[in-house]
Amino acid sequence: MGMALIFGVMRIVNFTHGAFLMLGMYATYVLFQTTGLNPYIGFIPAGLILFVIGYITYMALLRPIRGQVDFMVILLTMGLALIIIDSVQLIFGADYHQINIPLLSKNIRIGSQISLNAPWLVSFAIALILAIALYFLVTHTMFGRAARAIAQNPYPAPLMGINVNRVQALSFGIGSAAAGIAGGLLLPVFYLFPEVGNQFELKSFVMVVLGGMGSIQGAAIAGLVLGVIESLTSLYWGNEWALAVDFVIFILVLSLKPNGIFGSQRA
Amino acid sequence: MKNRQFIVAGVCFALALLVPVIIQDDYTLQILFRVFLFAALGLAWNLVGGYAGQLSLGHAAYFGVGAYGLALFSKIGINPWISVILGVVLSVISATLIGAVSFRLRGPYFALCTIAFAEVLRLVTKNLPNVTGGDVGTQVPLLFAQASIRSFYISSVVLTVLAFAVTAWIERSKFGYYLMAIREDQDTALSVGINTARYKLWSLLISAAITAIGGALYASLFLFIVPDQVLPMEISTEIAIVAMLGGAGTLFGPIIGSVVLEIAAEIFKNIFKEAHLLIYGALIVVVVLFLPEGIIGSMANKLRLFKKAPAAAFAVPPPVSAEDEGQRAALSE
Repeated sequence: MGMALIFGVMRIVNFTHGAFLMLGMYATYVLFQTTGLNPYIGFIPAGLILFVIGYITYMALLRPIRGQVDFMVILLTMGLALIIIDSVQLIFGADYHQINIPLLSKNIRIGSQISLNAPWLVSFAIALILAIALYFLVTHTMFGRAARAIAQNPYPAPLMGINVNRVQALSFGIGSAAAGIAGGLLLPVFYLFPEVGNQFELKSFVMVVLGGMGSIQGAAIAGLVLGVIESLTSLYWGNEWALAVDFVIFILVLSLKPNGIFGSQRA
Repeated sequence: MKNRQFIVAGVCFALALLVPVIIQDDYTLQILFRVFLFAALGLAWNLVGGYAGQLSLGHAAYFGVGAYGLALFSKIGINPWISVILGVVLSVISATLIGAVSFRLRGPYFALCTIAFAEVLRLVTKNLPNVTGGDVGTQVPLLFAQASIRSFYISSVVLTVLAFAVTAWIERSKFGYYLMAIREDQDTALSVGINTARYKLWSLLISAAITAIGGALYASLFLFIVPDQVLPMEISTEIAIVAMLGGAGTLFGPIIGSVVLEIAAEIFKNIFKEAHLLIYGALIVVVVLFLPEGIIGSMANKLRLFKKAPAAAFAVPPPVSAEDEGQRAALSE
């Protein structure tokens, strides 16, 4: 979802997203270990921390190379991701971690066939609320309007009194915060290691393109569609094919319907 | 001027071929093998990424196809050298397919699409244990009668010379000018009658062929390959960074980039141990921020500054030139 904002709305190909997600997970993890803070509250400070990190990253590293070829941004964010992942590995080690909270073992049964794991459900609910909030932020506020204006055409935006750097830095910060929050929400249901973000990162690119550039709701629906396709692939062909199918979908969408399923023609 | 450059290059390559006479140490030769291997790969990438401006991040695909081509064709009893050629053919075929789809896209979408293709290839290789050995890996035959690193080193130098010669020829040919025109402005190139799709594809095919030979050499040195070793994204980015570091779109850039990057990476591994990736990442960030045109490009800029009137040095450079912005806008469409 944060990727939808950074890549879709800002047009920044951000390869640090996975690393930010991982940082969010570690931040929540450290809070849980030191203060016993429940991850369902801990994701809030994690998001705030990541917002600051994202804001600083944009101001210090991405702003100077604005206007250069996108490839430079790709290289820069890849380098940054390497730095972050390796630092975390040096500090926390490469071990897998997992946390244990009472909620983890609870299951909710619907009918006799379907059983839902409670933490997944809670995480999903919070993510949904945040997604809706983000959607309104982008579509219904001055800030969102400014961000979209810059995405459409960066030249007249400052003429209309938009502080381009500020809006871009804020968007990047919010996008990063979304990654951090996602990390915090994933912590109860996922194991944790320094390279955990990579698998989500490429998936989020697929999601954004599938949903249509610049469309938050598109990315959300694409996320669901992708999840269903992945589960079906895992069921019939085995888990290891799921990611390959993702990429095939990605290539197909790019070549057949570059605007995405829900993308607007203007974008 | 140009001819003097080629004489210098020729002397350097001749010296490089003589290196094994002086250095017998296997470890040093292995590093030098990597240096020349990535110089050749960088030169190959440079044809597509540097001259034609199509910044591919999926060259691991061709590298891996070359490596697996050698392994799998020789497994069914074909002579290793013929297997290398078959691997190259296979790589060119896959480049045709990948190019046909990805060249229709521009800017970040092109890069993402090439990543996606390379990743699909890696995952498919991982998931077909009957054909490729899957994650367990597969054996690769030795290309040389003597199992010495020296023959590998010399063949990597030869590959670099080949890539260098191809690049030098292209740079001076009409084909090279077409590619550079495509890099500068694809729509204008199209409007003056350059068949952009065809020339982009040609540059990719040549690039893929050289990359596949490199992959086969690399695989044969290790005698055993797994998908995550020859098809990961790290290979793609390393190839691209080698060329970008030295200077994309220049003849000598990738060679210089490879010498600097590979030797630096090796030194980092020895000094910083576990932290070497951190330093490597920092190196990339520094290159992007301070040497966006690569070592050669930045040096050329400095020289130009010296030659011009001193007033130029005081002139405040515009933060973002209109040209750059225009290019960015065109790319991000």
